[in-house]
Amino acid sequence: MNLEELKQKMDEAKYVYDDTLATVLAVALKLGRPLLIEGAAGVGKTEIAKVMAHALDRDLVRMQCYEGLDESKALYEWNYQKQLLAIQVDMGRTDSDELTRGLFSDEYLLERPLLKSIRSERPVVLLIDEIDKADEEFEAFLLELLSEMQVSIPEVGTIKAKTIPFVVLTSNRARPLSEALRRRCAYLYIQYPDMEKELAILRAKLPHVDDRLCAQVALAVQKLRGSEAILKKPSIAETLDWAAALDALGIRELTPDALRQTAGFILKNSEDLAVLEQTDVTAPHEHCGHCGGHHHG
Amino acid sequence: MGDPGIYLEKLALFSRLLRQEGLPVSPRETADASRVLMEFGLGDREQVKTALRTVYASSRQEQLVFDRVFDGFFISEEAMREQARQRARQEAEAAQAREDAAKDLQVGGEPMDLSPEQMDTYVSMPEEARQKLRRFMEKYRSTAERNPELYSNFIHSVFTKTLLEQQLLMEDAGLGAEAADPEIGLLFRDISQFGDHEIPKAISIIQTVSRQINGELTAKRKRSGHSGKLDFRRTIRKGLETGGSFYRLHYKKKRHRRKRLVVLCDVSGSMVQFSEFALRFIQSLNQVSESSRVFLFSEQMTEADAFSLQNMDLFRSHVRDSGVYGKGTDLGSALEKICAMEPAALNSSTTLLILSDTKTIDQPRAVAALQNAKRQSGRVLWLNPIPESHWQHIRSVQVFSSLCSMVSCSTLGSLAAACRKLTV
Repeated sequence: MNLEELKQKMDEAKYVYDDTLATVLAVALKLGRPLLIEGAAGVGKTEIAKVMAHALDRDLVRMQCYEGLDESKALYEWNYQKQLLAIQVDMGRTDSDELTRGLFSDEYLLERPLLKSIRSERPVVLLIDEIDKADEEFEAFLLELLSEMQVSIPEVGTIKAKTIPFVVLTSNRARPLSEALRRRCAYLYIQYPDMEKELAILRAKLPHVDDRLCAQVALAVQKLRGSEAILKKPSIAETLDWAAALDALGIRELTPDALRQTAGFILKNSEDLAVLEQTDVTAPHEHCGHCGGHHHG
Repeated sequence: MGDPGIYLEKLALFSRLLRQEGLPVSPRETADASRVLMEFGLGDREQVKTALRTVYASSRQEQLVFDRVFDGFFISEEAMREQARQRARQEAEAAQAREDAAKDLQVGGEPMDLSPEQMDTYVSMPEEARQKLRRFMEKYRSTAERNPELYSNFIHSVFTKTLLEQQLLMEDAGLGAEAADPEIGLLFRDISQFGDHEIPKAISIIQTVSRQINGELTAKRKRSGHSGKLDFRRTIRKGLETGGSFYRLHYKKKRHRRKRLVVLCDVSGSMVQFSEFALRFIQSLNQVSESSRVFLFSEQMTEADAFSLQNMDLFRSHVRDSGVYGKGTDLGSALEKICAMEPAALNSSTTLLILSDTKTIDQPRAVAALQNAKRQSGRVLWLNPIPESHWQHIRSVQVFSSLCSMVSCSTLGSLAAACRKLTV
């Protein structure tokens, strides 16, 4: 798929992108490299994998990482209960070697996301979400999969990929990832969208919401993100929730009162809410005192 | 696209430049970059930049380095001509300024013996600072007639010192690519240069990094495995779930002892901001926080309780109320008091952590006290907020760093790295 086709597919998915993002995705696709996406929480990293699944017309296989994640949760596990039952049933009827061999066959193998993604008949998009939350050991284990597109299972041997998945890894930079993993990936760093892009996202995702309200919401969110005093910056999803909530409440103008009523959708801790009390984010932009909140890009 | 060979040659040169700038570029990256260029062409400069950045840079820091190298390497013809014109203009101006400086800096009609770097520093100094130096020379001109050699040496030493200070100031002012990053820039900037508005952001970075260090430690503990002894009770109990067959053996876990830490924290005027950040880090480390004792000192010493270390306001008011804030620094006296404590604050299982810029009164006494403290404690670690590049010019740093392991912690990033060491 070339760059223009990719852009067309993303347009079809109503995904708002810039040229940088489209180029990076096209490069990753061209080179067949996994894509490592870093950025603050809520900038839309996971969304990229979903959009790629749509654009490439593939299934999305998602693996959420967490501390303590191991091979049995990520790659495969033997169906132990089924194996025990098989032993009970076949005891005394089959010779023991054959029974042992049979116990470690596909029939008793429980596929987890990684194995599923490489054994799939149709290529998939594999999302390894928040890799920074997994342990370093797990990262090392991923190396074989990402570079050779194969995994080793001691009882079975090496399993090579039937189809090559498009792999997307996301990280919030909670811990530095190993150089070895980074080197195998194409890299994308994304920041919060600017005013123009945020407004475009609001319009694309919430077409029924009043344009003026969207502009006011986008402007207020930009101000909140720009404030050093706000510790947890609002994410894009929170912006969308907030605009939808304002619309659902029938609010057409983002007044200080309306902001107070709905602040819980956009700020999620008490310190930030206290800061909001002292700041007027609904005031028009300082460079443009007379506008009602048109976008400033 | 013209002859691909030329482009590939240029790409190889570009890869070499990136390698020189510290990016780990292997032949694979260069090969990938050439594939990408073949695919996308060279028509759109921004597109080429993005595509190559995706291939060559694998972190935010590397992206910033890449952008700098790319902008210097792939420039348009017009930009190249403009740069050449600008460079020629700058060189002419610099030559003129050097000539003027040579006239200014004469001792007894002879040019002063200064290195080219020192001469350049003089040229780049603000006019006000240069005037100050010239007035100084004028003031002592009469001495020159009486003792030309002494005058020459004296003026030379004053000049060298001033120029060195100026050089250090300029180094501090120049921010690296990382420091300019809006999200993680604070990690790479000098703590003493933080503005009040940056402090909440710095605190949030500290929380993130300490959470990360705690996470790493938990993971490390999990990985560190078992003590080697079989846990019969758990193995039998778990075996019941699988019809009495011991599907998995369970082992006894290793016991982990928490680190004991004694922190000696300099809270004289210049150190209070650094101490605040360093203590925040240390307090947020699960591994050490519960078993640590913190002493604050300037000319006197006082122990800080856990309550006063909870947040910045409490810490500052505690420092002010304790009467140790804003005075001179007497490290020797503080160390002697800690060593003489009953029951003993230091023993072979404690780590003594000193947060100080090494500036103290009565240095010989401080050296003796540090040697004694080193004998009493298991390990002494010194966190110094002065950047390591300045250490060679500061005598007290050289003295103390020869006695214990000293780590430069002028930035939050280096402070985090030092705190990681504490937990090892």
